[in-house]
Amino acid sequence: MAPPVAVSPLIKTARWSALLLGVFYGKQRFEYLKPIAEEERKVEEAEKKAKEEQERIYKQLSEANSDTILK
Amino acid sequence: MAQAVQKLVAKVPSLIGAAVTYSKPRLATFWYYARVELVPPSPAEIPKAIEGASNLIKGFQTGRLGQTTVKDALRNGLVATEVLMWFYIGECIGKGGIIGYDV
Repeated sequence: MAPPVAVSPLIKTARWSALLLGVFYGKQRFEYLKPIAEEERKVEEAEKKAKEEQERIYKQLSEANSDTILK
Repeated sequence: MAQAVQKLVAKVPSLIGAAVTYSKPRLATFWYYARVELVPPSPAEIPKAIEGASNLIKGFQTGRLGQTTVKDALRNGLVATEVLMWFYIGECIGKGGIIGYDV
């Protein structure tokens, strides 16, 4: 096996500082995106409920209005 | 169905044993290299790193960097890409997932 290479200190510091920076960046971005996603989910939930209400009303109306003897 | 599951469960210890025997020498090689090459820099090495960075900047200013061979330039490019990839690995660790943010 080839002996391990002595890596230059610049590369070593660059690697590990890049790792730390990445961890911080990932954490920050996650915390930034989390409330935005919560908001979006709430809005979508409210819209879905409104749409379902609408559909229910529509169905009831259409059922009341349809003229068939099969009632 | 139950018998097949039982047979599989009975095979698990031998599978684990086989995995361990397979990975031990490879882990040993990895550790052999990682202990020297992948360790974080000791506090004594940080001034040398700063010196190396200033050497780079000075080389850029004097135009010495224009004289690197293509082979050296490619090698340095690969090293720089590897350093950048550590940033993305850090981001994966920070966001707690490999693909995408789990919001």
